[in-house]
Amino acid sequence: MNYAIKTEAISKQYGTLKALNSLDLTVERGSIFGLLGPNGAGKTTLIRILTTLMNPTSGKAFIEGLDVTTQGREVRKLIGVVSQENSLDRYLTARENLELPARLHSMEKRVYKQRIDELLELMELSDRQKDFPDTFSGGMQRRLVVARALVNNPKILFLDEPTTGLDPQTRRALWKYVRSLTGDMTIFLTTHYLEEAEQLCNQIAIIDHGRLIALGSSEELKTELAGEAVYDIELGRDVNVFAEKLEQMESVCQVKINDNLLSIKLKEWNAISETLDILKGAEIKKISLRERSLEDVYIALTGKEVRG
Amino acid sequence: MNVKGTVAIWYRDMLVLKRSIWSEMIAVIATPLTFYLAFGVGMRRYIGLVDGISYSLFIAPGLITMTAVLAAYNESVWSLWFHRRVQFTIESYRVTPVTVSEIVIAKIFSGFSHGLIKGLMVAITIFIITPFKFEPLNLLLYILFLIPGSAIFTCIGVIGGTMLDKPETIGRVEAVFIMPLIFMSGLFFPLSSYPANVIPIISWLPTTALFEGSRQALVHGNFIFPFVLNLYITAIILFTAAVLTFRRRLTE
Repeated sequence: MNYAIKTEAISKQYGTLKALNSLDLTVERGSIFGLLGPNGAGKTTLIRILTTLMNPTSGKAFIEGLDVTTQGREVRKLIGVVSQENSLDRYLTARENLELPARLHSMEKRVYKQRIDELLELMELSDRQKDFPDTFSGGMQRRLVVARALVNNPKILFLDEPTTGLDPQTRRALWKYVRSLTGDMTIFLTTHYLEEAEQLCNQIAIIDHGRLIALGSSEELKTELAGEAVYDIELGRDVNVFAEKLEQMESVCQVKINDNLLSIKLKEWNAISETLDILKGAEIKKISLRERSLEDVYIALTGKEVRG
Repeated sequence: MNVKGTVAIWYRDMLVLKRSIWSEMIAVIATPLTFYLAFGVGMRRYIGLVDGISYSLFIAPGLITMTAVLAAYNESVWSLWFHRRVQFTIESYRVTPVTVSEIVIAKIFSGFSHGLIKGLMVAITIFIITPFKFEPLNLLLYILFLIPGSAIFTCIGVIGGTMLDKPETIGRVEAVFIMPLIFMSGLFFPLSSYPANVIPIISWLPTTALFEGSRQALVHGNFIFPFVLNLYITAIILFTAAVLTFRRRLTE
């Protein structure tokens, strides 16, 4: 068994609405796995099932080989969860917010005291450990939530949109902390920010209407859709003449002219050599391939813009 | 059962109570003390003796009981609602190895502890400012009523805090259901004031068993067994109902 998380035809139905529709997913141990999808795609439902907060309507899900439906308590010993909501206890100090889950995990005082010291240090909150979370900035509160999820040294960390509502600087700082956790730990992340998934995840799944529609690394996903590539070619002269020639090529979908710049959309990215044959004799000043972003892939697959 | 988890949640609630104990004490004592001064002292001369005792002594046990059960109810209903709907801490407990049943049992114990502590505060205040002296045995008998009474109202609070999503609905339930149950169960007037045909029905109410039974125990040292039995059976039924309601709601 080399997987940390596995779902087999998992479905969740609310009345007539299918939030998850026979979803199969495998997350390798030690990876940072990103789950992308528009609002209502089923991301949070899947996290709630995997973290034992909810039972699936049908199908099975396993965490380190344990069934989430029948072995909930054992599963919860292995996981840490950062939920979308700020669920910090405002009546407890930062340190007490970490002590409570440690006690809920039945950790020995000597063990959790040291672990909490380490986590406060890691999250740069040691000097604020006796303060109440209400006095913290949004970024500090999020760091404390992440620290709380790490108290039991989980094998799998679930992060449900961990940076929503944070400013870009704080978001990047949190990425730094998440990156520092990689090693034996598997991280399962849902996010609205494609940049976040691109920066952090080595595997990305895109789901929509409760179904898996793409799976792979960021590069693999981009390559899969790289059939349509756009090249920008700057010519010194005869732009219109070459544009006409290119339009007649079968592998060219679209040609746009902007002064001396030709933007050519090709059906296949590797049709560029054929294109360059047509451009023989042209005074080519510059050629560049417009890089596809993960956002292009996301929009192409879901048909929806990313909402932050 | 993970007793450590249940104790950890109960300990958290007690830690929070300890931090706010002085400010809470003022609020907790103010209401029963106002009732005591207005009715027990202010109207004493006009009312005279009730069931053979002064009116101030007649209402004193009920005021202590009312404080305890209302504290138990309020702690449970608002704590459950707040932790479930506002602070989402219940959810953060649920992703640890504790089970939903262990969480609700911790919350029931917290409400119960609040009730007993606050009831005790009012009792001490009333004992200090009044000339009443109660026999130690009477106090022990009284506690036998206070324990299931606090448990009953804690469980009602847990059910309310689990089922009700809007704070205004919680307020309405208290105004329409909880307060009338307390006030109509012999807190301020003897049961003999009711029409004869209503008394058998009223006597079966757990709140009557609580207020009438606790008064008989504290003032006269009478231990009315059917009342105690009624209270403990009701407490067990409501405890089961609270655990099942919480479990069902949270796993929906």
